[in-house]
Amino acid sequence: MKKLSVVLAVVLVLSLFTGCQENKDTPDKGNVTNGGDVSGDTSNNENSKEAVEVTILGTIKSEIGEAFEEAVATYNQSQKQFKITIIPMDGQNPFEKMTALYASGHAPTIMVMGQEMAEFKDRLLDLSETEFTKLAFPGTQANATMDGKILGMPFTVEGFGLLYNKKVLNEAVGGTFDPAEIQTRTDLKELLDQIEALDGTKAVHLSPMDWSLGAHVTNILFSTQAKKADFMNGLKAGSINLMDNEIYHGWLDTFDLLMEYNIHEASPLSGDYDGGTIDLANGKVGLWFMGNWAYAPLHELNPESEFGIMPYPISDNPEDYGNTHISVGVPMYMVVDKERSSQQEQEGAVDFLTWLVTSSEGQDYFVNQMNFIPTFNGFETMPKDYMSKEILRYTEEGRTLEWMNMKYPADGWPAMGASMQKYLNGVIDQEALAEEFEAYWEKQ
Amino acid sequence: MLKEKSRWKKLLSFIQFCFIPLFAFLMIVIIPFISGVFNTFTDFNGIEMTKMVGVENYRKALTDKTFWSTLWLTIQYVLCSVIFTNLIAFLLALLVTSKIKGKHFLRSVFFMPNLIGGVILGFIWQFIFSKFMVYIGDATGIALFQYSWLIDTNKGFWAMVIVSVWQMSGYLMLIYIAGFIGIPKEVLEASSIDGATKIKQLVHIRIPLMIQAFTIAVFLTIKNSFMVYDLNLSLTNGGPYRSTEMITMHIYNEAFLFQAYGTGQAKAVILFVIVAAVAITQVLITKRMEVES
Repeated sequence: MKKLSVVLAVVLVLSLFTGCQENKDTPDKGNVTNGGDVSGDTSNNENSKEAVEVTILGTIKSEIGEAFEEAVATYNQSQKQFKITIIPMDGQNPFEKMTALYASGHAPTIMVMGQEMAEFKDRLLDLSETEFTKLAFPGTQANATMDGKILGMPFTVEGFGLLYNKKVLNEAVGGTFDPAEIQTRTDLKELLDQIEALDGTKAVHLSPMDWSLGAHVTNILFSTQAKKADFMNGLKAGSINLMDNEIYHGWLDTFDLLMEYNIHEASPLSGDYDGGTIDLANGKVGLWFMGNWAYAPLHELNPESEFGIMPYPISDNPEDYGNTHISVGVPMYMVVDKERSSQQEQEGAVDFLTWLVTSSEGQDYFVNQMNFIPTFNGFETMPKDYMSKEILRYTEEGRTLEWMNMKYPADGWPAMGASMQKYLNGVIDQEALAEEFEAYWEKQ
Repeated sequence: MLKEKSRWKKLLSFIQFCFIPLFAFLMIVIIPFISGVFNTFTDFNGIEMTKMVGVENYRKALTDKTFWSTLWLTIQYVLCSVIFTNLIAFLLALLVTSKIKGKHFLRSVFFMPNLIGGVILGFIWQFIFSKFMVYIGDATGIALFQYSWLIDTNKGFWAMVIVSVWQMSGYLMLIYIAGFIGIPKEVLEASSIDGATKIKQLVHIRIPLMIQAFTIAVFLTIKNSFMVYDLNLSLTNGGPYRSTEMITMHIYNEAFLFQAYGTGQAKAVILFVIVAAVAITQVLITKRMEVES
């Protein structure tokens, strides 16, 4: 009896081992197929007509999760060759999830990447020859081009600046508000006063989140400099004194102005993203520094009102670069793994991405359901909402500021965001803020 | 000969019963721990390693000022939460082992907060601190509640202490109750015949006899407070301006948000050494104080 139980225990343990072994095998098999050494496997799959499963990590953004899932379902029904499966993000941050999946040998085929791309560049498929790469607007691929290869598909453009509630601003100016009239800080101040004159309306909601302050508000400082690259390198080398930089002061003076008219002036760190959305949607404030990703929740809260976007002026001279510009950039790229995914999986990934931006069904999801602004030629469906149209107009007129924040180190926005929060809360002044920025950049 | 056989038999039965848990422990705890420590000496970036870098990661970790400031903040937090949690838990245990009415009901009520998971608990309290308290402040004009506690460096810290005390003290109460119940009745009877008052009984007889409960309770709170993450994340998320960022959150951010695996992992190893040292010292000290009746 005892002997029997020992044998049983050993068998159980051994089966555990083999269980692990089998799991480990799967990705290796994929690898071999990828290398093209075993061709039997590949043809087998095609003959048996079983759809190739292609994985994608996450739903691009949590806000559009449902619409994206529907798009995937529609694609899966539209053809029999490939089946897209979404790997849930489980609330982890993408970099953590991606490294964990890579380390375990189960890398997803399609991923969404931003700054992480440099770290993964040797593992990503060169997308230079794909249809969507050829259709993409010029300049949108700059941040995804590495070692002469285009590794990412620019998914959309987003813009940030001062969002406004058109109805409130029309009332404030007594007529039709024209954002082109706001070209200087003085113009902005007049507008703020006009909004405050309305009953029960404060002028601005200034959100204190570190990503908003650290990545978006600071972007204006970096991208309005005459020589952007030199400015960033100078900060790293410690050769730039921000207190001598005219744009630094102009940029902060506007920030001071917004702070003064802030709905949370008495306790500036009280605001949050949801609060900003509610305040602007319901017309409790006229302006909110944010980006067009907030359009969907704004529209949902108040479908009647229209929301626009306008520049953040940095001086009193309308001619100054940046006073009539908004920040527009590509927030993320779709990339395809070539290290762990088989040839077919890669093909499926490219096919799905192509479908999304070239077929009329895909375009409908892209523009109407997911609210993305297309960055490709030949789009038949165009965004109909006012804010997206405004962003497209700024882009066409070339009145856009580059997203320099894509070039920040990974801890750039949390570090500068924390300093900006101190400034917003009145803990430090312009000089101390300059010192904190300089100290951060010199460490890089 | 006979002895040897029985030893072999013992080992065999040990393996029979413990192999699977030991195997799991080895695979899930020991091996990842060793590989984690090993990785701190390499340039591992989360996906692959190319070369050994010696103690470079430790040098970077130890020279990072924010690492020391968050560690100091964490130590303050540990001190506050260990003292308050144990004090309150002890008093609660005293209360529910006395002769008051409804003590069984009270026991479960005090234990209840422990049944709510960390993140959900954090969100409930976030609502209390940033919405409910502000509402009270608006209605009554009490300056203390006028703005959310979570956007203030000091109040944010105390908010975390309050919530962790609220959550943990019910659990520790159980351990103290066990300690109280474990005291032999004869000793207490003898002392009361000798004329000891309730207070004297508590200080000179009951507490010394239940030091074991203190050993466990203090150890648990030290460990839990050093490792606090979920509460930190859901309550303040390190804000305002990263001034309430505790050490575990700092390490997580370093590794996963700022993509510096090496230094993040090195900091985690340093934290392990510190927590182990503190916990072992504490256990040794309180063990020495233990007496038997």
